[in-house]
Amino acid sequence: MDFGLLITIFIGVALVNNLVLAGFLGICPFLGVSRKVDMAFGMGCAVTFVITVSGVVTWLIVHGLFNWVGTAVFENAGALYFLKYVAFIMVIASMVQLVEMYLKKFFPPLYEAFGVFLPLITTNCAILGACLYIDMKPETQNLINAATYAFGGGVGFTLAITIMAGIREHINFSDVPKPLQGAGITMLVAGILSLAFMGFTGIGK
Amino acid sequence: MATTILFAAIVLFALTLLFATLLGVAKEKLHVEEDPRIPAVNEVLPAANCGGCGFAGCSDFAKAVIEERAEVSGCPVGGTSTAEAVAKVLGVEVVKTLPYRPVIHCGARRQDKLGVVEYDGVESCVEANVVGVTQACVYGCLGFGDCVESCDYDALHMVDGKPEVDYVKCTGCGACVKACPRDLIERIPFKENRMLTVACANKEPGKSVKAVCKVGCIGCSLCQRLAADIFEVDNNLAHVNYDNYETEEKLPLKVLQKCPAEVMMYFGDPEPQYAKQLAKEKAEAEKKAKEAAEATSS
Repeated sequence: MDFGLLITIFIGVALVNNLVLAGFLGICPFLGVSRKVDMAFGMGCAVTFVITVSGVVTWLIVHGLFNWVGTAVFENAGALYFLKYVAFIMVIASMVQLVEMYLKKFFPPLYEAFGVFLPLITTNCAILGACLYIDMKPETQNLINAATYAFGGGVGFTLAITIMAGIREHINFSDVPKPLQGAGITMLVAGILSLAFMGFTGIGK
Repeated sequence: MATTILFAAIVLFALTLLFATLLGVAKEKLHVEEDPRIPAVNEVLPAANCGGCGFAGCSDFAKAVIEERAEVSGCPVGGTSTAEAVAKVLGVEVVKTLPYRPVIHCGARRQDKLGVVEYDGVESCVEANVVGVTQACVYGCLGFGDCVESCDYDALHMVDGKPEVDYVKCTGCGACVKACPRDLIERIPFKENRMLTVACANKEPGKSVKAVCKVGCIGCSLCQRLAADIFEVDNNLAHVNYDNYETEEKLPLKVLQKCPAEVMMYFGDPEPQYAKQLAKEKAEAEKKAKEAAEATSS
């Protein structure tokens, strides 16, 4: 196992090619649930969990089930790859349901704070995006690397949304010009944050 | 081709079965006991989700009722019937429910206002309030109808430059209360079909009020002297204390007759019992005067 490669993959997806700030995936919760730091962090944790489990399970489905059925029946490993999207979405939806039940049982305040955003993780494109990236990238073709990539993606999402929430909490106390109040300043901050993350470009190559 | 379809179906079916089992087991393991009365209460609420009760929506209110953070009669839209239905779910009696309805603390029609200036700006109360020069009274209704805009039930209309509430259509949701930039609209408990209100919000001394409006409250405290438990004058402005306000009959009639500014106004049912009585008395007084005049002439 190449430990250096794992670190490279992790840093790569968490900072350099951050799913939100460089990949522009998962913008909806990034702007929607980033009003308070604790809520944003909770959302980040939920997404990290879902993304990691989904990443691993989808890897298993593609490399295990699809390849096995493909080779056994069609003598072509990629014969069932067209089912990827359907299968991935099903995995993600199931995992979100699981997280929802878990939170409702053990963290009711967090569950209530999320409200509609929790079921919306289902349609969080960062998760489907990460699963599809894992499937595409040559370095994530073994399970541990795939899990690292998925977990890194979740950590990157948590990092981005928490930083965003911290900035937005401060914006509440600043003198924002009237036309920019609300959504306007949030978009500007998101853009500048994204530019700042461009500074990581080049690391790990 | 057929085998591809067949195996695609088989593979997906297997996956679905796997996840369904997983979720089924999780549901059993992670089941949360929820009070069955919460959905039952939610069922009888109007589902308007207007937030008039002060909670985030009907389901939030239902939860608050079960947890005894809210009254059964807390839904302003549903009124008495909803309160009874909620009480039935909970197995308690309704004490007394009063619908909260808006009244407007400014009774000045267009012709009553003084110092009205031609205004070419944006036709909205919020904007005009910022500009602040459209009329002399800085407390009174601006008359651009932000409240009318805010009403989802078509219960507010501008008549003679002031908003009139259609109490048949009004649900008491409170959208107009929030819309008024001068905080002129207040929701009061309607203990009867119509309620007495001081239709003025001007806190200036009498002379300044007279300078800006023909029908402003001058803070003379006459009403307070006549019925101290119901009326109180604070900051040169009379208020009605609705805790002590019981019924129209128990009000001292004199207050209405003697109020020099005539700002005592009824809001609600347009068919006032009180006005009938007043009209009757007025007619009798005229009759007497006529008789007296006839007596002197003959």
